[in-house]
Amino acid sequence: MKARTRAATILLTPFFLLFTVVMVVPIGYAVWLSLFTEKQSGLGFGGTETVFTGLDNYTAALGDRAFREGFGVLLGYCLLYIPLLLAGALGLALLLDSALARARRFFQLALFLPHAVPGIIAALIWVYLYTPQLSPVVQAMEAGGIGFDFFSPEGALPSVVNIALWEWLGYNMVIFYAALQAIDRSVLEAATVDGAGAWRIAFSVKVPLVKASLAMVALFTIIGSLQLFTEPLILNKGTGSAVTSTWTPNMYAYTAAFDRNDYGLAAAASVLLALTAALLSFAVTRMTGRRKAGKERTA
Amino acid sequence: MTRSWSRTSRVIAGTATALAVLTACGGSGDDTANSTAKKPNGPVTLTFWGWAKGSKDVVDAFNASHTDIQVKFEEIPSGTAGGYAKISNAVKAGNAPDLVSIEYSSLPEFVSSGALQDIGGEFTEADRAKLLPQTVELTTLGGKSWAVPFDAAPQAFFYRKDLFAKYKLQVPTTWDEFKKAAEQVRKADAKARIATFFPDDPTTFEAMAWQAGAQWFKAENDTWKIDTTDAATTKVAGYWQGLLDAGLVHKNASFSPEWTGSLKNGTTIGYLGASWGAGVLKGTLPEQDGKWGVAPMPSWDGKPASGMLGGTSFAVTKDSKQRAAAVTFAEWMSTTEAGVKARIASGTSSAFPAATALRPVAKKAFDASYYGGQDIYALFEAAGASISPNWAWGPTTGTTNTTIKDHFGKITQDGPGIADAVKAGHDATVAELTKRGLKVEG
Repeated sequence: MKARTRAATILLTPFFLLFTVVMVVPIGYAVWLSLFTEKQSGLGFGGTETVFTGLDNYTAALGDRAFREGFGVLLGYCLLYIPLLLAGALGLALLLDSALARARRFFQLALFLPHAVPGIIAALIWVYLYTPQLSPVVQAMEAGGIGFDFFSPEGALPSVVNIALWEWLGYNMVIFYAALQAIDRSVLEAATVDGAGAWRIAFSVKVPLVKASLAMVALFTIIGSLQLFTEPLILNKGTGSAVTSTWTPNMYAYTAAFDRNDYGLAAAASVLLALTAALLSFAVTRMTGRRKAGKERTA
Repeated sequence: MTRSWSRTSRVIAGTATALAVLTACGGSGDDTANSTAKKPNGPVTLTFWGWAKGSKDVVDAFNASHTDIQVKFEEIPSGTAGGYAKISNAVKAGNAPDLVSIEYSSLPEFVSSGALQDIGGEFTEADRAKLLPQTVELTTLGGKSWAVPFDAAPQAFFYRKDLFAKYKLQVPTTWDEFKKAAEQVRKADAKARIATFFPDDPTTFEAMAWQAGAQWFKAENDTWKIDTTDAATTKVAGYWQGLLDAGLVHKNASFSPEWTGSLKNGTTIGYLGASWGAGVLKGTLPEQDGKWGVAPMPSWDGKPASGMLGGTSFAVTKDSKQRAAAVTFAEWMSTTEAGVKARIASGTSSAFPAATALRPVAKKAFDASYYGGQDIYALFEAAGASISPNWAWGPTTGTTNTTIKDHFGKITQDGPGIADAVKAGHDATVAELTKRGLKVEG
């Protein structure tokens, strides 16, 4: 028993060391920073004085319309992105599941490939494809009579959603595909024997059987969306698009620190965002946990 | 349960990464900056960060001609493209270089955040007298001297001589004429425009307001008076809104691929920039050799008038232990013949020195054949003299400009316009100054 405890201690120490250095300490430092503000006097040319301001930075962040609007953008993003992602990834997975073995392997790789491209590169490529004077896509659309400005206030959200879809569709398709492959083949055979066609099997048999992974992908995507940063940042820098520097809460914190030199505000915004993520994760864990427990009981 | 927990912590880990980025940034700086202080024998080593064209050549020339001071140059992205963030973070992290490039517009912000040292002791009255007074004023804040001005950046209008001739256009001298010329350009070629509105770059608009006589930031006693919606600014905003609404100018990000692309294929035939733009055009469009001309900025009443667009100064960071050597090097770049010559002879810089006596040197060093041998330095000289001395920059340029840029991006045909963007910038500036505990009116 003692040997086991010692082994556990030894094996876990590296984890806890790293956990402390890269998680606990930075979070603690951010909380600490968020309680201070740099104040100046006179015209402001006499240097700064760091003053303890309690929760002022938190009220400042929450009182800033730009910060609150960031959460609104996230909500809109989730409402548009998640249905498209789920429908697209599931549709593709169902197609693959019923395709020929050889085509299957090819499409699986081809669809997954965009996920291997780093987000920043993907965003740069898409910015090029969105820019009216450069993009063959925009030119083709215009030739076809469709004028759409990807950088306009109405176009900004679809533009970012499109990049995210391109990056994540294949990844989530693989998850669904794996779930579909795990379905007991005898169930499908039984359905065929009962006279169900391919459509009927897909929607009445396969989809209900992979519901759990659908829910899981949806919930993780919502939480992942809280960190939306790279793609909109690229759209913000150097395009003159309607994506503002405070478009998402993460970008708000970044701008507060690096454009406004207000580290206290940036830290407060980050802590608020982290709290939101923690709360959401907790809710998600509870929900999936309950689902699992319920399932076990009925099984 | 353990599995669910690991999911939760993974999510928290992701968010914490964002925090870690915020708190740990600046580590990318050069740690040797301060640690190499004064070796008893041998030269002093300085580090210098900048992005202005020709900086590398200047540093090489300095190192070749000096034995007591050696400079290590690192090129950083231009200020608003991330350079300033890099500098502030390095200062915060305590590993900043000794000398940094800062544009006049951002200098007050760096001074007020305590990132710089007062260099009044080394950069004396006699040195300052060699420089254009407007630039000295922009680097003297709260009665102290904070940076060595390098260039004045009077505005200028660059245009395609060949296309102006082809379309039978007069070079406009007033903004009314400019608008008429813009209409003629579009009539001659439906795809072509006379110039570009840069939605990503508030500084170009600010220079226009400056030219029109606006005064956004005024320091009176201990109070900042902020007024970005005065008559002059309103006039400029209305004028540019009119050009945008009528589709008389392109709307592209500055120095973006679409902007250069349109210059290359001749669908943008003019550029409202500043003195340093001459070197940029030459470097960006070498194949259009001889096709460009430079004209004074159009003005409201036809009399010469100019704002300043950009313009660099050199400042010593807070923790540098080599202030004297850093100022010596900065002065060498700004006020000596060899320094100015080395930069301009690099072929990429058309900087207009703040040091009045060195302008003939710059003129001689700049190969103006790209502009058909036009005496562009004489033009900058006249424009430089017409820079309105009333403009000052406030200590919140980061906030002001980011806010205006964000709102420029939202401009649509029937939606918010330039005036709304400028108003938003005003409100954000006032709020920011208040948050810092300063007295504000506006």
